[in-house]
Parts: sequence; C-alpha cells; structure tokens
Amino acid sequence: MSGTNRAEVDDAACIERSRRDPEVFAEVFRRHAADITRYVTRRLGEDAADDVVAETFLAAFRQRDGYDLSRPSARPWLYGIATNLMRRHVRTEVRQLRVVERTGADPVTASFAERSDERLSAEASRRRLAGALAALPKGHRDALLLVAWGGLSYAEAAEALGVRLGTVQSRINRARGRLRAEFGGINPSATVSEESVCE
Amino acid sequence: MNEMTGVERFRSEVPQPDPDRLRAHEDRLLAAIAQDTRRTTSGLRRFGLDARRSPSRPRRLGLDARRSPSLLRRLGLATGLAAALAAGFMVVTTHRGNPPVVIRTMPAVASEVLTRAAQNVIKTPELHPEPGQFLVYESRTMDPAEGQDRDGRPMRYLSRAVRKVWLPVAGDATGGFIDEEVLEPKPWPGWPIPPEARENVGPGGGPSKLADFDDRAEFLRNDYAYVSRLPTDPHKMYEHLYTQLGNTRQDDTEAWNRVRGLLTEAYLPAPQRAALFRAAAAIPGVVTVEHAVDAAGRSGIAAARVDPVLGQRQEYIFDRGTYLYLGERSVVTDAARAGAPVGTVLTSSAQLSVSVAGHAPSATVRN
Repeated sequence: MSGTNRAEVDDAACIERSRRDPEVFAEVFRRHAADITRYVTRRLGEDAADDVVAETFLAAFRQRDGYDLSRPSARPWLYGIATNLMRRHVRTEVRQLRVVERTGADPVTASFAERSDERLSAEASRRRLAGALAALPKGHRDALLLVAWGGLSYAEAAEALGVRLGTVQSRINRARGRLRAEFGGINPSATVSEESVCE
Repeated sequence: MNEMTGVERFRSEVPQPDPDRLRAHEDRLLAAIAQDTRRTTSGLRRFGLDARRSPSRPRRLGLDARRSPSLLRRLGLATGLAAALAAGFMVVTTHRGNPPVVIRTMPAVASEVLTRAAQNVIKTPELHPEPGQFLVYESRTMDPAEGQDRDGRPMRYLSRAVRKVWLPVAGDATGGFIDEEVLEPKPWPGWPIPPEARENVGPGGGPSKLADFDDRAEFLRNDYAYVSRLPTDPHKMYEHLYTQLGNTRQDDTEAWNRVRGLLTEAYLPAPQRAALFRAAAAIPGVVTVEHAVDAAGRSGIAAARVDPVLGQRQEYIFDRGTYLYLGERSVVTDAARAGAPVGTVLTSSAQLSVSVAGHAPSATVRN
C-alpha cells in the first residue's frame, strides 16, 4: 500500500554503506531500535533493556563487516545479538518471572499503564504462565519468545539463534507442550475478546 | 485461548519505547560510533557529530520542518465555510516529497473505545455498494467560519448545516453531489454573528455538484473503491495512516486527523473499518472521553486526542451500546491557542445515515 512504495534501501545496503560511512549505521538503529527495545523490555524490564539495547547496536556496528549482505533484513541478526547479550541477565529474567508467579505483581510491567480489566480476569493463568516460562530451558524460551514477541518467523529465529530450523521447531514445540500443561484446566475465555474480526 | 495466545498477551502492555528514549539511545550510539571510528582511523575522519545532532536540527530527513499538520487541519476546518459560501469544495493536498525512511510500527497499548468499536463492526448490517452506484451520507455539521465581512473586518462564527452528500463508489469528490440546508449559525464566543452568516440560511434548493476539483494525494482518497483495497491488518493500516509521516507528536496529530477522512462521509467495508479502529487505537495520546455529544445531540463515548497546536481535543464519538460511529467533535483545551474558552465546542458533526443509491440525484445547475 502507500507507505511502502518508496525506493527501498534494504538493511544490507545500509550496512554495506556504513562500512565506508559509519554514520549511516544510525539508519539501521532507526529502523529496528523500537521493536528490539520493546522486545528486550518485555523480557527484562526497562532498566536492563536500556543497557542491552545500547550494547546490541554498538556490537552490531562493530560486527558490521561480518554481516552477510545476501540477507536483506537485519532483524534476525539484531535479535540474535540482543539474545546473546541477554544471557548475562538470565537470572534477572527468571527471578522476575518467579515474582509474577508468586505474587501476581510484575516488576517488568509495573511502570507501564496496565489494562487492569484484562489483567485481573487472566490473573491466575498469567501467574502460571510466568512460572512455566521461568522453568523453560533458556534456549527454548529464546526460540519461543523470538517468535511470539519478536514476531520472527521460525527461519528467522533459527538465523538469530544460529541453530538449524529443525532445532527451533522442536524447541518451540516442546516449550508449547510445557506451557499447555500449565494452561490445562483453565478457561480464561474472558480474555479472548481481542481476537481479530477481520480475518 | 491457547498457550501461544497466552504468551502473546503476557506483558503485551509494555509499549513501544518513548521516542525521546530512542533518540537518547541513538545519540549515544552515534557518539560511540564516532569515538570508535576516530580510534580505528587515528582521527583521520571527522563527522562533526556534535554539531549535527544538536536538538535544533530537524530530524527524520527534515520531515518535521516540512510538514505542518496544523495548517492542514486549518484548511480542513475551512472546508465547511468554503462549501457553504462558495458552493465549491476544497480538499487538502498533501505535499509530495521524499517519503520518510522511518515507518511507524504500531504500539501495543490501545484505546479501549476504539478496540471495542473494532470488535463491534460485524454487528451492524453491511452495505455492499456496486460500481456505478453512490453512497449517500446524511449528516449535521458545525464548523468554524473565519473570514472578512463586506467591510473588510474580521468575522468569526460557527456555521451549521444539514447536508446530504452523494459520492460515487469509485472516483473523487468531483463526481459527487450535495444538498445542503444551512442552519442558523452559532456565535464564536466573544464575537458577534455577522449578517453574512445568515445570508444562506434555509433550504439549499436541491442537489448540486459537490466539488469543482479534488486534488487530494492518492493515499488520502476515501472513495469506496479505494478504501476497499486498504489493508485489513491493523499494523498495515497503521502504516497507511502514517504514510509520509515521521515520529513526532505533530505526526501523531496528523495521523489522528487522517482517521477523520476515513470516518466522515466515507464507508469502509467491515474488515477495513475494524483495522482502522485498531490502528487509530494505537496512535499515541489517545484518551477516552466518557461523555461526548454529537451535532445531533446524541450522546456517546469518545476516543479523543489533544492537538496541542490548536489547543483542542479532537473526539470521535461512538454509541455507548453498539459502538457505531456517531460523529466528531472538537473541544477547546487551551483557550489562548484556540481563541475560545476552555470547553467550547468549535467543530461537531453527526453522521445520521449512510445508504446506497443506484444513481446520482438530478442536479440543479447553479450560477
């Protein structure tokens, strides 16, 4: 539609140019920083996210010579770098999920306006979900959340994590199985009201 | 709800980051890049980053400086007057330039009113206009009129009308017709109603041609044929609303104003309408107004956004039960900027009916 009918310069071209003219790399930031920041914030909270995002783009800039220019979108690459950097914060992540599980209060979302009506109706399932996420092996949680929150395809998630597509599929399947077990017996139908009506 | 939906919902209230936070990050990144590069090239390259990143520099390819949404809105406001006094129709043309590189992505936090409106689109009977037919809109309007009276003195009043507009299913406003009855004007607070304001009061004498020209940009078209092809994915619709816009609050204001073009004398198929409501719901700064009244006196609940430049809150009003779109209203929030006391309603409309007609009305030729 309109809005995309521009002479598009893809990420690969930007990165290639940034090898000669480093400031061009800011364009890669402008395209992806909002999404990556939200993704990392959702996993770690705002404070840790600020550090991780800053490190992600600086690391990406320093690794730009190694970027595979045959890949037009830098999304998987950037999410991969962010995922690696988040490894240092895995204990924080798990600890915060456990707080949600135990108390229902979420340190990560505390500072944002909450949609209280939905939150309350889904309280029990949310706490169980947090517990289940905390219990997942990190590699499984990474794969699951890159797809569910980062909006990456399985193939992109595989690229981001540097593993084979089949590995991502099996990690996500197993993660979903664990979560399904936690969800069993709960019927939070009050929260399905936002399903799209235009499909 | 399956477990994936549960995961997707979890912490979905975390919003897209604040633009200021991102800019701070960007500036830090650029500083680090500069430092890095100086180190690796022994100071041979200079970027002048500090000077170029100064706050006064217009960002986003100079977009902020180029666009003036408030001006667009002012022209939009003048439309009612132009139509009433000149029997012509002026439509805003948006400047065409290099499109911005940054495309807005839709945040997750959303206005509840508009989300409900999106959920309710399937509850109203759907119209299926065919090519060659006309969509007929009946509405009641109030718009600020500003100009000069015969003696060249400034005048200001609120022009009111009942209008019936026929718009072709495909094609621009020049193929449309209007039958308008001008109603008794209302005063702009603190201003006398000039005699000119009452000259055209009364029935309009039958349908006449709606517009002599319509040079809207392609992406601002709102005929049924065009809007039927708009995206049904809210994220894509959001991008459509932000076509050629950037990341400032002014751009958000403009995107919010563009929603009006798709609600007023326009009819979107239900899937596009739902996407529009969801996209509009995510425009930053949308608030809920619990009690809002349209130009026909119908009260409802509104999704609204303050336009800080105009000093007005622009509201889209919905029926509290069915979430059917009723009309719009603008209410003064900043007396100095708006030139009227806080709380004054300066613009309002009520969409009374939308229907399909097989052919155009027989038009009266006017001189």
